[in-house]
Amino acid sequence: MAEPIVEAHREGAAAPSQIQRGSGLELRSLTKLFSGHHGERVVAVDDVNLTIDHGEYVVLLGPSGCGKTTTLRMIGGHEEPSSGEMILDGESLLGLPPEKRPTTTVFQHFALFPHKNVLDNVEFGPKMHGVGKEARRRKAEEALEMVGLTEFADRKPAALSGGQQQRVALARVLVMEPKALLLDEPLGDLDRLLRLRMRVELRNLQRQLGLMFIHVTHDQEEALSVADRIVVMHEGRIAQVGDPLTISTRPENEIVARFMGDNNIFRGNVVAREGDRLVIDAGRLKVAARAPAGFEPGSEAAASVRAAGLRVDQERGSGDGINELECEVEFVEYLGDLVKLHLRLDENVFVAKVPGDEYAMLRGREGSTVRISWQEADVQLLRP
Amino acid sequence: MSSSSGRREPAPALAGAGGAPPEGPAGGAEAAGRRSRLGRVADAPGLRRILWLLPGSAWLIFFLLAPVLFIILVSFWTRTISGFDEVWTLDNYRALFDSNVYWSQLWSSFWHSLVVVAASLVLGFPVAYFLAISVTSLRNQIALFIIALAPFWTSYLIRAVAWVPMMGREGALNTILQKLRLIDQPLDILLFSDFAVTLAMLQLYILFMVAPIFFMLAQIDRSSLEAARDLGANSFQSFREVILPQSMPGIVIGSIFVFVLTMGEFGTVRIIGGGQVSSVGTIVSNQVVSVQFPQAAASAVFLVLAMMVGVFLLLRVSNLREEL
Amino acid sequence: MTRGRWTKRILAAYFVVFLLFLYGPMLVMAVLSFQGPQGGISFPMRGVSLHWWEALVNGPRADTIRETAGRSLRLGLLSGAIVAVLALTLSMGYRRRFRGDNGLFYLIMLALMTPGILLSLGTALYWQFLEEPTSLWRTAIGTHVVWGLPFGFLVMVAVWNRYSNAVEEASRDLGAGAIRTFREVTLPLIWTGLLGAFLFGFTLSWNDYDRTALLAGGENTLPLQIFALTIGSVIRPDLYALGTATTLVSLIAVGIFLVVAALILRRRRAAPATVDEEFGILESEVVQAER
Repeated sequence: MAEPIVEAHREGAAAPSQIQRGSGLELRSLTKLFSGHHGERVVAVDDVNLTIDHGEYVVLLGPSGCGKTTTLRMIGGHEEPSSGEMILDGESLLGLPPEKRPTTTVFQHFALFPHKNVLDNVEFGPKMHGVGKEARRRKAEEALEMVGLTEFADRKPAALSGGQQQRVALARVLVMEPKALLLDEPLGDLDRLLRLRMRVELRNLQRQLGLMFIHVTHDQEEALSVADRIVVMHEGRIAQVGDPLTISTRPENEIVARFMGDNNIFRGNVVAREGDRLVIDAGRLKVAARAPAGFEPGSEAAASVRAAGLRVDQERGSGDGINELECEVEFVEYLGDLVKLHLRLDENVFVAKVPGDEYAMLRGREGSTVRISWQEADVQLLRP
Repeated sequence: MSSSSGRREPAPALAGAGGAPPEGPAGGAEAAGRRSRLGRVADAPGLRRILWLLPGSAWLIFFLLAPVLFIILVSFWTRTISGFDEVWTLDNYRALFDSNVYWSQLWSSFWHSLVVVAASLVLGFPVAYFLAISVTSLRNQIALFIIALAPFWTSYLIRAVAWVPMMGREGALNTILQKLRLIDQPLDILLFSDFAVTLAMLQLYILFMVAPIFFMLAQIDRSSLEAARDLGANSFQSFREVILPQSMPGIVIGSIFVFVLTMGEFGTVRIIGGGQVSSVGTIVSNQVVSVQFPQAAASAVFLVLAMMVGVFLLLRVSNLREEL
Repeated sequence: MTRGRWTKRILAAYFVVFLLFLYGPMLVMAVLSFQGPQGGISFPMRGVSLHWWEALVNGPRADTIRETAGRSLRLGLLSGAIVAVLALTLSMGYRRRFRGDNGLFYLIMLALMTPGILLSLGTALYWQFLEEPTSLWRTAIGTHVVWGLPFGFLVMVAVWNRYSNAVEEASRDLGAGAIRTFREVTLPLIWTGLLGAFLFGFTLSWNDYDRTALLAGGENTLPLQIFALTIGSVIRPDLYALGTATTLVSLIAVGIFLVVAALILRRRRAAPATVDEEFGILESEVVQAER
């Protein structure tokens, strides 16, 4: 079932590209099996269904081994699926070798041709497609200008920094005018400062070109920063699909809640139910949440609250010990714009994120007890 | 919301490259640019690999395996005046087992080979260490390594010929030693003795010990040495705890190489030549072997067995491919 | 770290002694080849002259020597070429694990370990059994390649180890089929390994005695002739001249490889960009698109 396109036409988007707009990419029941080291069957990608529209920036997010890279490689033609279907603009991609697919890939370690200079690297694709000397030089120079590397045209990759190499890798694929651009951990090899800058540039680039970008990463922050839609994957399956806001504030299950980081997860039994509100007894504390049908009293349930939803010494809870707790401060981590409080109650650990200005009053309070509370609206019930 | 369906078993696996496309909007192999059936077969990694391996394997089977197997075959045949007859017999082996000369020569070869291995280890390790660890620039490492290796690419025959003017009574070494007044009389043992032969072997094969150790040492992370120093280890301790263990695979591989090669050399000379000759070349030129094919073959078989055991050990004790 | 520096000096001195040990005989022989006309095959030197070199080039045996040298050269070049090709194909098969890869590796290593004389003996017998004559170009070339192959193979395996498969995927991704990828991307990156394999094949064949001895079928190679000279007739210093000359050919081959490798290493390693350049670019512009 197709997901309605999340608003791609944000403020300032450039005119749509000249690429023919087809119906987009559809993955149906995509599965990939490998045989492991001891001959056992490894399911790398398990029955994945996904639709991506032209102009969307989709991020496949998950820990290593979750299948995101394998999925990307199957779309790009560097792996063949064991079963399932991939359809791009109405045509099946199965059996099509990578050189015949209208997709191009930016590889994790850039995979630049070390024996060719920058210009030759960028001209490579058009050369393989029979584009004439003049035309391909022109295209290559345009692409290099787009990424700001015009004066590096005759350098060899070894003489470039990491960020520059990444730009060459980008220019090399952009010159191909693909229907979809696949990026395999494109920022992985860059150091932190560079990563932060480059992801903004990637996003801008995508908006201006109006191309379908499929970007694989394990970095939650990166995903939130660039994506129109995030596909969280785990053990070969999709755990949740949604726009960044939804994924980070309304995780649907424990996998997503844990992976997005800094979510506090409470587990216990349902003790009360009124209408669409239920209360979970998680041992030393109680949590209230909105819930649809199901979850009758006595059943097990889990809920997640974002660290940023937790407040110190403020009466946010519902009273009667619901949506609040008293715990010990283990560590006060000052991060400039915010303060991360590491809290402990018996053997449970919690994390709260409060604005940086509160540091003055929190400093040095390790070992003391604080009262933590949160709004019911921030409690997200998790599906099992 | 798109998501994966529940926990069903996925469709039956078509593991490996190329699954058959299901019936879909663009099924069939005729769509533009799709891999043809032949193309898909040629893409199957298994078949491609066999094609790659075929020429080299065929050559080795025909020019290596076949002759060796044939020697084994001949060892079971009978000798005639002009060669051998295809009459099966165990006589050759019986003669071998009865021959004291054979066993003593075998033992002597074995023993001398061990000596060469030990000597090459002691004398070769410092060279590998120097090249891999003391020399820091990669370019210099490679250059010096190739310079050290270059004699391997020259003819050992020539080097053997040159041995005489170097080590003989009036040879260079003796002359120098006498001039320096370190000795009064020229040393005979430099040329005609077991010591001389061992020295010659050493010169021939020490590079087979240096190279593997060099490769292993070159892979050691310098920062682990610095860490050891940081934690209080002195030079000797860092050597023993950090360098030596990591060079061990190289030592093992080198030892096995040197042992098998020298055993082969000694064995061929002493066993096949019956202890009467001093070099491989003489055997051939004397046609010693030609007239006694089956016996020679039988003794060769044992030698070959020793080789095979050596190679087997090589693969067992250290996974050579992973070290590369 | 003076201790470190002393260690290095001692080891360096040891290395020099080691080189003398290895190169010693050849150096002695080279020196003696310039022996005076009255001199013998051992020290002392009675004068210095080119007499023996002249004897080599103009003497009674000069013609045969020239002929055999030519033969050895052709055989060596052919052997080197075959070793390079077979080392390439075999190592291509080894880029991923497969069933039986240990067994084949065993066979390749066996080629290294089998004593040469055994191999030529077995081959001679085997071909005699097949009632085929032995000859340089049929049997000797076979064993020469067998000898060179494991070395060439190991060189290529080391090359593949440092090679990244991703560039091949990138090439396919950009539209190059398998053959074009091999030509445009793979070959330029591995050709030094092929050169190394060729050199192994050439030098090992050029210098080989054991594996040629029974298989030459009447046509001599240089090593065979040299050996005949050492035991057949009286040894004179012109033999040293010959030996020195043959060794020089081997060393020149190695030298070529060294030079080529040095050139490659220097070309690849230009100075990397400075940090300023990096951030300069990022500061000054936002990615533009004229679309």
